[in-house]
Amino acid sequence: MDTMSLLMQGFAVALTPESIMFAVVGAILGTLIGALPGLGPANGVAILIPLAFSLGLSPTSSLILLTSVYAGAMYGGRISSILLNIPGDEPAMMTCLDGYPMALKGKAAEALAISAIASFIGSFIATIGLVILAPILAKFALRFGPSEYFALFALAFATLGGITGKNQFKTLMAAAIGLMIATVGIDISTGVQRFTFNTLELFEGVDFIIAIVGLFAISELLFFLERHAGDGLKQVAINKLQLSAKDIIKVLPASVRGAVLGFVAGVLPGAGASLGSFISYTLEKRVSDKGEFGKGDPRGVAAPEAGNNGAASGALVPMLTLGVPGSGTTAVLLAMLISLNISPGPMLFQQNADLVWGVIAAMFVGNLVLLLLNIPMVGIFVKLLSIPPKYLMPIVTLIASVGIYSVSHSALDLYFMVGFGVAGYIFRKVDIPLVPIILGMLLGPEMEKSLRHALVLSDGDWSVLFNSGLSIGLWMVAILGLVLPIVVGPIVRAKMKRSKESVKDA
Amino acid sequence: MRINDRVFGMLMLILAVAYGWEATQFPIPFGGHESVGPETFPIMLSIILGISSIYMIVRPDPDEKWAPTAMLIELSVVVLSMLAFAWAIEPIGFMPAAALVVSFLSWRMGASMTKSIITGVTSSVVIFFLFNNVLELALPLGLLEF
Repeated sequence: MDTMSLLMQGFAVALTPESIMFAVVGAILGTLIGALPGLGPANGVAILIPLAFSLGLSPTSSLILLTSVYAGAMYGGRISSILLNIPGDEPAMMTCLDGYPMALKGKAAEALAISAIASFIGSFIATIGLVILAPILAKFALRFGPSEYFALFALAFATLGGITGKNQFKTLMAAAIGLMIATVGIDISTGVQRFTFNTLELFEGVDFIIAIVGLFAISELLFFLERHAGDGLKQVAINKLQLSAKDIIKVLPASVRGAVLGFVAGVLPGAGASLGSFISYTLEKRVSDKGEFGKGDPRGVAAPEAGNNGAASGALVPMLTLGVPGSGTTAVLLAMLISLNISPGPMLFQQNADLVWGVIAAMFVGNLVLLLLNIPMVGIFVKLLSIPPKYLMPIVTLIASVGIYSVSHSALDLYFMVGFGVAGYIFRKVDIPLVPIILGMLLGPEMEKSLRHALVLSDGDWSVLFNSGLSIGLWMVAILGLVLPIVVGPIVRAKMKRSKESVKDA
Repeated sequence: MRINDRVFGMLMLILAVAYGWEATQFPIPFGGHESVGPETFPIMLSIILGISSIYMIVRPDPDEKWAPTAMLIELSVVVLSMLAFAWAIEPIGFMPAAALVVSFLSWRMGASMTKSIITGVTSSVVIFFLFNNVLELALPLGLLEF
């Protein structure tokens, strides 16, 4: 089979000592990033991009490094869910429901081990799904013309708020702001200066990496200060691991179901990892109703954790094949690709086949590394988790600034970073989501280019945007993605809240 | 209270109008008009931003509480300290500037004076040597250059 041989070539890339080293380093960093409350995967990857960039790593190495960080962060997120009852990031929320009660019952080590195994199964199955689905989707996407791409970009923005999105107009506004920032600079196709106010520094536009680090990392620091959260939280003590093969077998079906559901949720636009882990958890509760869900049932830890990791790998499918990310972290990974001068999309699988398959193979390797890291070495991560943020956040901020500074050695970039941090703080205060802003900055140039191509080909006839079945279909999904959350969103959100509250009462 | 969204929506509406107007003022590109010029996409964006900000003004969400004034002042001081760090990194050097800003930040986050100074000094020295010697990314020495 064609895919098989490509994958084998990928393993040849991923199993070189250099790649394995980057996978291990990425896995460790990622787990740390995921475990530390308030850092989160998008944030962590964003901080590391400028570093990978200025170290001059090859595209393959930096991608292996960052996808391992991404996978590791998904593993790490569960540690703080279980020990602190605080999800490291949103999708890890469902893991709190049974993980924390398990930890309270003195079974923290078991909960951590089970969730590590479930994470592994989730990522593993979803990566297999990625291997099968990505080439098919890439081949299909070759049929896309400029007007289909324009519709696809619109779809990406429309569904970004997700089914649980609160205010669609705010998502729309955020996307518009991001796209507007992207238009600053010299217009590529005509050479006209746009919104530069004749400032030399703005001719090349605004660097999205600076914006990402500012919006995520710096605004997070400000929020930490405001909440006086510097002391960190009390965590549950960890016990000695007592896990038998029987316990593992008992959670296997839950993990596999969670993984498949998570993968599907990850691939679909607008669903994302949060929904993936939510569906996995509720389905598991329904399928095996004899358990004690919400009171520390191991299957209640395994299912959402597998779902969350499955969704994380699933989200890479649209990102790699279409160039349209579905979540914050994949958006940041897309930023990485663009800054390495690799344009994702269907052509990626043809032009950079060794890179793509190398990265996919590295995901398998990274997963194995993560499983090995997370069971015997979980104690070390737990220790690091107990460092209070009042020491950690300033250091993280420093590392982020060093990364930005070392890209171009200019203080101006740092001013911009701080500026974006303040803007991010204000946006979060008025509930403007940050991810569409980032996505707008990333996709803006491509989106405008496809609009231009489509209209030039049709000689200015705007109906070209809706003249193929495919583009009409995409527009329909986009409109649905925008309208559906207004109808369904409150119901789903209420359900998520109820299951969270029922645990608190118990 | 639903002031936040109203004010923010108003500001964004002004931005949308200013941005859209600016876009109509672009010079005509060399080679004459095409069906899509440099202004087409920006004008579309300004319409989207305009519509969503009007929605925000008309149907605002409940406010999230702003921090008390004292905290806002403190946050501004923190922001200024980071800007000062950015400015100082070249003239006075990475290590002293970083030590100062990290100590200040961790002190403001609630660490004791001594502990925050220890954090600041160790982290800046370690990061400096890690970057300069291990990762080979030169950071300015500044005052310590002799």
